[in-house]
Amino acid sequence: MTPMIDVVFQLMIFFVVTIKQEDIFSKLNANRPAPNQSSSSSESNDTQIKIDIGFSGLIFNGRGVRMSELKSNLKQLSGTSKNATVLIRCTMDSPHGKLVDVLDACNQYGMHNLSIFSM
Amino acid sequence: MAKKPNNEDASLDMTPMIDVVFQLIIFFVVTLKMSDDKDTTIKLEDGAHGIVLTQDELPPSQLTIDVAKTGRVSLSNITLTDQMLAAKIRERKQKFGPDFPCMIRADQKAAHRHIARVMNICAAQGVWKLSFVAIAEHKAPQK
Repeated sequence: MTPMIDVVFQLMIFFVVTIKQEDIFSKLNANRPAPNQSSSSSESNDTQIKIDIGFSGLIFNGRGVRMSELKSNLKQLSGTSKNATVLIRCTMDSPHGKLVDVLDACNQYGMHNLSIFSM
Repeated sequence: MAKKPNNEDASLDMTPMIDVVFQLIIFFVVTLKMSDDKDTTIKLEDGAHGIVLTQDELPPSQLTIDVAKTGRVSLSNITLTDQMLAAKIRERKQKFGPDFPCMIRADQKAAHRHIARVMNICAAQGVWKLSFVAIAEHKAPQK
């Protein structure tokens, strides 16, 4: 019996050592309109919120804001216009992390109608 | 004279212990996630408010496109050209329709132009519902 127990213990140790915790991932949904569609198109019957993401800053409805200000603005808007279309425009050199931050903030306040444009 | 009980130790019953150890092994075998092929250089941004990815959110129809900081686009850690990516997406779309979960797993420092390129390829194939992968909760040891 002893060899079998030895082998089994070896296996145990192997699995205990190799198992590792993985991060929990989430997904943030967004729409990407076809490139030939112009950004100013469409029936804008709902309110539109425009967020521009640059290399170093954010512009919310034409006004430069910090992330915390953007969040408080979105919080206010989420009370009245949850179904508003959020147009997110990114400059080509902006880091992807910022886009994810903005998408996350929109998700936090229940805005799910998000469209991403590039400029 | 009474027999000393520790004479019995020589033939201690091992069966329950072996049972337990086998149970443990089975547990570890089952919970062991095979390290799936992905670009391990990618560092994701935090996104605590997104939809947490569970097995339900990862059906066989899903496609996860990796975009590294350098702009390298890969599927299952195999680098793809734009044409190859477009072909893959077209194939998925024909099989599952345009609403299959298409996820972009891009590095937090990747420039938007790389992501825009991937998104344009998807949109050109008629797949315009995209998702971005973020970290909901840190569990792995920080490097």
